[in-house]
Amino acid sequence: MINIRDKGAEIWENWNRPTRVIFVLSTITIIALLPFAAAWGPTSFLDTPITSFKNVLVYPVGMFVLMALGLNIVVGKSGLLDLGYVAFFAIGAYSQAILSTSFGWSTWEALPVGIGLAMVSGVLLGLPALRLRGDYLAIITLGFGEIVRIVILNSRKVTGGPDGIAGIKNPPAIFGLEFDLFHPEHFFWLVGVMVLLVIWMVRRFTVRRPGRAWEAIRQDEDVASLMGVNTLVYKLWSFVIGAAVGGAGGVLYASKVMVISPDMFKFEVSVLILACVVFGGIGNIWGVVLGASLLAYIPDRIRFISDARQVIFGLVLIIMMNLRPDGLLPRKKREKISEKRKK
Amino acid sequence: MNKNLKRVLAVAIASGLALGTVGTTQASAKKKVRTVTLAFQGPLTGPDAQLGQDQLPGALFAIAEYNAKNPKRQVLLVKADSQCDGTVAANLAPGVANDKKIVGVIGTSCSGEARNSFPAYIAAGLPMVSPSATAVGLTDPKAADRGFPIFHRVLANDKFQAPALVKVGAKGVTSPKFYIVDDQTTYGAGLAEYAKPHAKKAGSIAGTESVPKGTADYSSVTSKIKASGANIVLYAGYTADAAKFFKSLRDGGYKGVIAAGDGVNTSDFPSLVGSAGEGVRLVAPDVPFDLLVSAEKLAAFTKTTGVKIPGLYVTSTYDAANVFLSCFDKKKYNRPGIQNCITNGTFDGVSGSKIKFDRYGDIIGGAPVGEFLVKDGVIGYIGIA
Amino acid sequence: MNFSVVTSQFASLVLQGVALGLIYSLIALGYTMVYGVLRLINFANSEVFMVGTFTVLFIQVTVLGHAVTREPMHGWPLILALALSLIAAMGVCALLAMLVEVVAYRRLRAKGANRLASLISAIGVSIFLSESWRIFTDSRPHAGPRLLEKWSFGEFHGANFRIDTMMAIFASLIIYMVLLRFVNGSRLGKAIRAVSMSEENSLLMGINLNRVVTLTFAIGGLTTGAAAFFYITIYENTVFNVGFNLGIAAFTAAILGGIGNLRGAFFGGLALGLTEQFASAIIGSQWKAVTVFIVLVFVLLIKPSGIFGEAVQQTRT
Repeated sequence: MINIRDKGAEIWENWNRPTRVIFVLSTITIIALLPFAAAWGPTSFLDTPITSFKNVLVYPVGMFVLMALGLNIVVGKSGLLDLGYVAFFAIGAYSQAILSTSFGWSTWEALPVGIGLAMVSGVLLGLPALRLRGDYLAIITLGFGEIVRIVILNSRKVTGGPDGIAGIKNPPAIFGLEFDLFHPEHFFWLVGVMVLLVIWMVRRFTVRRPGRAWEAIRQDEDVASLMGVNTLVYKLWSFVIGAAVGGAGGVLYASKVMVISPDMFKFEVSVLILACVVFGGIGNIWGVVLGASLLAYIPDRIRFISDARQVIFGLVLIIMMNLRPDGLLPRKKREKISEKRKK
Repeated sequence: MNKNLKRVLAVAIASGLALGTVGTTQASAKKKVRTVTLAFQGPLTGPDAQLGQDQLPGALFAIAEYNAKNPKRQVLLVKADSQCDGTVAANLAPGVANDKKIVGVIGTSCSGEARNSFPAYIAAGLPMVSPSATAVGLTDPKAADRGFPIFHRVLANDKFQAPALVKVGAKGVTSPKFYIVDDQTTYGAGLAEYAKPHAKKAGSIAGTESVPKGTADYSSVTSKIKASGANIVLYAGYTADAAKFFKSLRDGGYKGVIAAGDGVNTSDFPSLVGSAGEGVRLVAPDVPFDLLVSAEKLAAFTKTTGVKIPGLYVTSTYDAANVFLSCFDKKKYNRPGIQNCITNGTFDGVSGSKIKFDRYGDIIGGAPVGEFLVKDGVIGYIGIA
Repeated sequence: MNFSVVTSQFASLVLQGVALGLIYSLIALGYTMVYGVLRLINFANSEVFMVGTFTVLFIQVTVLGHAVTREPMHGWPLILALALSLIAAMGVCALLAMLVEVVAYRRLRAKGANRLASLISAIGVSIFLSESWRIFTDSRPHAGPRLLEKWSFGEFHGANFRIDTMMAIFASLIIYMVLLRFVNGSRLGKAIRAVSMSEENSLLMGINLNRVVTLTFAIGGLTTGAAAFFYITIYENTVFNVGFNLGIAAFTAAILGGIGNLRGAFFGGLALGLTEQFASAIIGSQWKAVTVFIVLVFVLLIKPSGIFGEAVQQTRT
């Protein structure tokens, strides 16, 4: 099978700088115009029935892309299986909700707090859990996700228990862009900017020391630690950075939907985000973006077959994984070969 | 073979997408007859689907009656399947609100999804009349998540249901000792919370417990209840869990009274709970449809909807739909007009009572709460609690 | 905190914890068999369990015509009916588990794909099964008929030795013993252990890898089917997503005991059942899951690969 990812990289490397800049700018423009695609004749087939297309672009599509990129740092870059990623999303969302309703903080003020709390909880979870390997880590993270949800559910006085928290404020306007119910496209652009930031961050990390350390850990942890990589510290870093992205996503989500409750942060969300990462191509940013967009979008697009849409979703996962086990856009060949050798 | 498979898949997906777009635009095709559109928002799929599937016939029947009387003005119904899920509702509501054809929402079925739908509906001025969202906060003037001014409901909220539940549970019991169990959902936890002060007044509380919805094994709760010496168990939750819980109670040798709220009062409860359900007392802010209407009307209902025995909340859904339909009778066909009509109008309930809403959307004077008893595997209506 | 319950209902909590724990054990064996050989979490096992519960209902209600409202059976017809539904559930689950292996794992295994890819395809199977079942059953819970009258052998300090509980306990013990003998004593069992030690070497020894993998899935299906039967007999209730909570619990049990290890799955299940019962009695049902996970974290910190260590064979990294 042809590796589209390698083909794409080849074309990219043959371009000169101006061509690259033009390509990037035009791609960003096209994506920024997406919210209007449903209203424009030739692309109106993209419109989602019953649900509002622009809102679907924000959540689940944009949000899932953001969180899948965050989870990709953990699962894709350093090879740790995290089944409780939704916990960080929940922590971010509840920090925003509590700070907004009880203390009147705006989204921009709450954002660093939400990210910080998610990172702290990442450390708290990571310190014991990251000493374990493989599937033991998976079950501990799964448990952590459930613990966060249950603690939120049981702390009625602070979090409203099953009722959740209502009356969260939308973010204040920036550059004259209002964030409210009537302008979901502004939220979409905001999420888009965050996605770009995360992509930039991940790319910087990848070519530097942490990226190399993660790569080494993913391929063989024992060898990596023999070569002098402090594996626990680097694993913790990838975990905490992933948590930060999840927390940021949560803060944004809470200020978008305005009402949150514990049932939005179930185990299924963790699984879905993990599916986005693997479906698109573990470790490859563009694959993850593509995979998350598709998996988030499809269930709403096929709403007209309402009853069967989750069945179709399951089928898509089975068929695609069988046809392309490395995802839609797999990671670079070089990395794959070394992974095979490990087996 | 691989390529062929992919091509087939691509064609299938493409044609699926095309069908979908056709399906969504067809609604506005007819020209001569003028149409007006309502939406029904509730769970039609997902774990709570039965609630919505029971209600939908009530709305369909009311609309069929209206359409038969007004051939020039046909009412269409959009089914907005929220799965009783706040996350889904948060996406669904902006879509429904942006659809300018929709002038009113019959719903929502669940309290949780209502709160996630409010922001979009309030901003769009889209009036709602709910047949079954009973959480008190939705119409509480002080609550941040109230649905003022667009939210209304045609049934008593949990504040009225909770005392009725306690009263029905304690009926005929000397020195009542309550054990209150909820399922940690918005509905269950809320109802249990409101029941506690009334239970304290009627007797004493031997203990309380929150058992998450979907738990398989209730034996440890049963042990606790037996150890506590309680003689009345009040359960605030839904049918599926109630059936497991009550079986565990009776098999575990608990002999006292069991009473539960409207979440358990569904047509399949007796068959799910089996012999353990004998004598279970139920309350619901909803009087069965078949007890209120004439035999001819019931026959017409069965004919239009294919449903023989109307389920829970058919009465309130029918009433909710009729609130909108009477506004159509008054020639109000847009959102502000209907909102105004609902706020100021008085409507006929199928039980013969008058429905008039207060400022925050509750019925003035409160709606009645019915008392039920499971006997010989059937839920029988006793009267007003 | 409520310790008086523990003193007054101690025997009862232990008995119920053992019964629930053994059901967990049987499902956990399904996870552990597959994990021992493939090093993969079989996410679809919870849905195999769900299908098993509906198979029991199908046999009892549709085939035997025992409606939910009918009186319990007695004597030989009862024993035959129970045996038939147990065998049917085990058979259907074994077949389904083998099918899951073919659909979700075989092709990926042949390609030597990343193990996460198999995880996602198994999740796909799980979503597909539970959602199609949801449509098939109209999302409604289904009750099991009461075939077996729940008479009691007697009470001991509040513990009710009911026939259904006792049956589940003794039958799961027997199933576990048989399985242990099979894996440790028989030729096929030897092959399973060989594959779990080293795929490549066992291939060189002439072991048919695909056959062994199919076999482990089938065995996992058999024990999961048995669990489904006892679940229905005790709780008489099922729904399309019944496997979700039980699946996570059983998976936790398998990890707690040491995944890939039969003894681990068995005692892990028991430990989990008892922990759950006492946690809900002392702290409250709403904290049950939290307590279980905290216990799990402590166990794993002290013994990083579960109580009985990973696999009968060796610890792999």
